[in-house]
Amino acid sequence: MKSQNRLPFYLTLKYLQRGKKWTLFLTVFLVAIAFVNLLFISSLFNGIIKGTNEQIINTMTGNIYIAPKEGEEFISNKTKNVNTLRSIDGVIGVSAQAQLPARLEYKKISGNWQVLAIKPGDEAQVTNTSQKMIAGRYLEENDEDGIILGQQIAGGDGVEQNAFSLKGAKVGEKVKLIFNNQSYEFTIRGIFKTKFLNADEQAFITQKAFEKLLPEIDDKTSTIIIKVANNHDEDTVISSIKDKNIDGNVYTWREVAGLMKSVSESFSSINVIMTFVGILIAAVTIFIVIYVDIINKRKQIGILRAIGIRPYIIIFSYVILSAVYSVIGVLLGTAIFFAILTPYFIAHPFQIPITDVVLALDKVDFIARAEAVMWVSVFSGLIPAAVVTRTKMLDAILGR
Amino acid sequence: MESVIIADNLIKIYHSSTNNVKALDKVSLEISSGEFLMITGRNGSGKSTLLHQLALLDEYDSGEIIINNQKTSHLSERKRMDLRLRGLGYIFQEYALIGELSALENVMLPAMMLESSKEAKAKAFEILEKVDLREKCFRLPSELSGGEQQRVAIARSLINSPKIIFADEPTANLDSTSSKKVLEIFKSLNKKDDITIVMVTHEPEELAYASRHIQLADGRIV
Repeated sequence: MKSQNRLPFYLTLKYLQRGKKWTLFLTVFLVAIAFVNLLFISSLFNGIIKGTNEQIINTMTGNIYIAPKEGEEFISNKTKNVNTLRSIDGVIGVSAQAQLPARLEYKKISGNWQVLAIKPGDEAQVTNTSQKMIAGRYLEENDEDGIILGQQIAGGDGVEQNAFSLKGAKVGEKVKLIFNNQSYEFTIRGIFKTKFLNADEQAFITQKAFEKLLPEIDDKTSTIIIKVANNHDEDTVISSIKDKNIDGNVYTWREVAGLMKSVSESFSSINVIMTFVGILIAAVTIFIVIYVDIINKRKQIGILRAIGIRPYIIIFSYVILSAVYSVIGVLLGTAIFFAILTPYFIAHPFQIPITDVVLALDKVDFIARAEAVMWVSVFSGLIPAAVVTRTKMLDAILGR
Repeated sequence: MESVIIADNLIKIYHSSTNNVKALDKVSLEISSGEFLMITGRNGSGKSTLLHQLALLDEYDSGEIIINNQKTSHLSERKRMDLRLRGLGYIFQEYALIGELSALENVMLPAMMLESSKEAKAKAFEILEKVDLREKCFRLPSELSGGEQQRVAIARSLINSPKIIFADEPTANLDSTSSKKVLEIFKSLNKKDDITIVMVTHEPEELAYASRHIQLADGRIV
């Protein structure tokens, strides 16, 4: 049997075995770096988007947010609704929040902030505020005069919005909660910092304390926030909720994310642009590196043609060589990304005002970028090899 | 004797942006089977150009080359390549070996186009034996002397059993001992294996090996 069909693989193997190791290493390294660059840009922006979205869900809205129906101030039948919601498949936490149109006063400083009455245990199943205490402790169920403040309310040196805060309120100190022209004294049990400004401008008291202030509001609530298990789809849970005729309007967290939704969308748009630029840079880099490598083998290609090796065999051998460069480059890039960069960012997150960012890469993005690098490499091998096999044989051999 | 190569009114012009140079000017030539023809001439006389045309490595502007009774002027590049692969051997002045392949692999490469690698390898061993390089067949070109590399190039040109071999100043880069060895191989191939050899040379003393010699000047046979 003729070995003609195996000849491209044979030639590629010999180039790899006996070619200059530095050229091989440099080419593979540059392909790897181009691939890492592609992954890094995308995963950094994905990390920012994911981090921002998680902050919205984990500190403010939960995955699903139920608000009173149009024209109504409250959701009625709170206890029944909360119990119904808990029974839905995929729901892992439900917290009813009553919003108080109140004013806080501390040492002659006062201001309007969002004060929410919660059941601490329920709230801890939906948001992570309880894990973000930077001073003092979280609320307890039966606490009737305790309050926890977001860092942007408590204020203090180094706090972003210190000018508009209580300018250094501390745990154990008293704040006045002015509500319905009446003043109630609360003790600061703790201060929390989620790094998400909107969340850090909230204060929480217990449902028990709220019922003491406003007994007539029994079994009503302003909002209900719901946490959905990671392996469940939000839309499916929403349709289940709607089937239960809950007394309120049901929204996904995206619909109530407000300004943060625009921020998140802006990052997504930037990500698309940066990915496009990244692919372009990677394509040009890989093309130049492989092009130079193959153009330097112009004489060799001419000799192969002169001794009777068909052009398609020569071209195919360089296409395989480029494919090998790209596969090794992608593997090396993957190792650099997952073994060095990702752990580094987990240990030292990139800090932005909204959240701490770690690299986030989904499978589809990874595969798409790996494919892009491989296709670019294959074309980078194909084009110069095809060009050289079309030039005059003697010009290639004699370097004319 | 039967003519294996006929060149008829061959014209080759090198075109450049400033001027056109007529490298071959109506060259006509017949080479018989079993001849050992040497082509001589000054630098720029057109001897290498003539060899490139006869070996189908280049395309001439007008005229005709007939090889083994087959006109070549209208052959496609693929058919010219086939003719080169099966019927013609070519030896370059600079050896033109593939640096990443051993002597054995360089020699067997053209045969791999036509037969299995096992058969190609067996033939390559045999031919390397013939040029006295059996012992060094696994060495890379960079590990061989100039004379040895040229003998590898000769072995490669012989692998597909061509009836005609072209050699472009094959001894130009060799010392006298290596040159003699190469010429003796050519002589043996010509006498024993009845291979027609067309060789370009600069060295007058090498003409002794030829059965005929032609001289070129300004692109014409003189």
